[in-house]
Amino acid sequence: MSDKPFTDALEDLASGASGGPQSASPYGEAADASTHESVAALVARFGSAVQHHAIMAGDEHVVRVPASRVMEILRWLRDDPAQRYDYLADLTAVDWGGGRPIDVVYQLWSIPHRRGLRLKAALPLDALEIDSASLLWRTADWLEREVWDMFGVRFRGHPDPRRILMPESYAEGHPLRKDFPLRGRFSRAEQTRRALAMPVHEHYSAQEIAVATETEAHARREPGESP
Amino acid sequence: MGLSLPTVPSGEANFLTTRLDYVVNWARRNSLWPMPFGTACCAIEMMAAAASKYDLARFGMERMSFSPRQADLLICAGRVAYKMAPVLRRIWDQMPQPKWSISMGACASSGGVFDVYSMVQGIDTIIPVDVYIPGCPPRPEGLIYGILMLHEKIKGESLSNPALREEDPSRVGEPNLPDGVIEELALPYGNSTNQNKVSGLVTTTALTRPADRKP
Repeated sequence: MSDKPFTDALEDLASGASGGPQSASPYGEAADASTHESVAALVARFGSAVQHHAIMAGDEHVVRVPASRVMEILRWLRDDPAQRYDYLADLTAVDWGGGRPIDVVYQLWSIPHRRGLRLKAALPLDALEIDSASLLWRTADWLEREVWDMFGVRFRGHPDPRRILMPESYAEGHPLRKDFPLRGRFSRAEQTRRALAMPVHEHYSAQEIAVATETEAHARREPGESP
Repeated sequence: MGLSLPTVPSGEANFLTTRLDYVVNWARRNSLWPMPFGTACCAIEMMAAAASKYDLARFGMERMSFSPRQADLLICAGRVAYKMAPVLRRIWDQMPQPKWSISMGACASSGGVFDVYSMVQGIDTIIPVDVYIPGCPPRPEGLIYGILMLHEKIKGESLSNPALREEDPSRVGEPNLPDGVIEELALPYGNSTNQNKVSGLVTTTALTRPADRKP
């Protein structure tokens, strides 16, 4: 692969051609489940739901699971006394481009057992929907909003499924998708006009507006006057 | 002490002659109250310029005004996202005349390296700008030089020119420049490879896999 021109290598990558014997599986070489206690336990309990297990960068264990069973597996990983993954360090997604599925990534850490595990669930582009993990870890609330905002993945059962980084009226799509043009879909003039026409409630959540309204009402009240 | 002033006999008129423009501009430029709009690393340099070593107070800028209604000079220091654009515009609209603005650093002046979907390509598309300070970020000396250039500009203003202070109330909250000019300003100048003017047709051939391109 090293003597190929760079563009040829890119074409290979795009067409899914193998870059060498080590990348026979697109998810990396399958690892032995017994190298990680939680992976071994997952295989014992969920069997074929553990679709693939690989070790990345030395000691990072990556487990691929079907999106339909992700909630069940996450709940078990959090609650089982031998696992106790009580800390969701990160929840993000990867768009591989070229019409391939988008991966939703859960980066877990077990504080009592000092053990980390990464879960990945693939979602085909025509069914970008997965169960929300925000009932298991509160931190998933904003992380899932970010994944929705940037990749367009819907989270079933999310308590507040709004965008988080882009304004709510953002009409150009989901910016971290591979097919999203770097400078956006609209012209700069259109983007500027839309930005300046943004109403105030798109900057603030309903709670923030409620607090501001109450504060203003309080300031207008006479001393001793009841609300 | 060593200073002796000519004594004025009591009861006689004491007067001084000058041009009204000169004295008004002298007063205005030596008591600029800045409204800091710091969004990134440029703001750190702005704070350094206000601190004791560079001491902006020497130029009558003792008081950083965190209320736009008591400010004369908007210093926009740092990158401005489109989500921040209406905030910047509203702060500018809330400042009373006479008012000036400084665009500090590459990002505020042109978008800098952030030629992307979320970033304003120069705050002059949002508000009028008097002085642009280049640098990434500019040193405090750079900011002070920009402020002194603004002093020179204020020196040259005239009360008899109402166009300087004119604002169209119907343009409040509108872009500062016509569409065509915004498009022209946002043209990529080498900081984004192989990009077209119209962002919808962008192809980054050098960096994108062919299969990822839209048909």
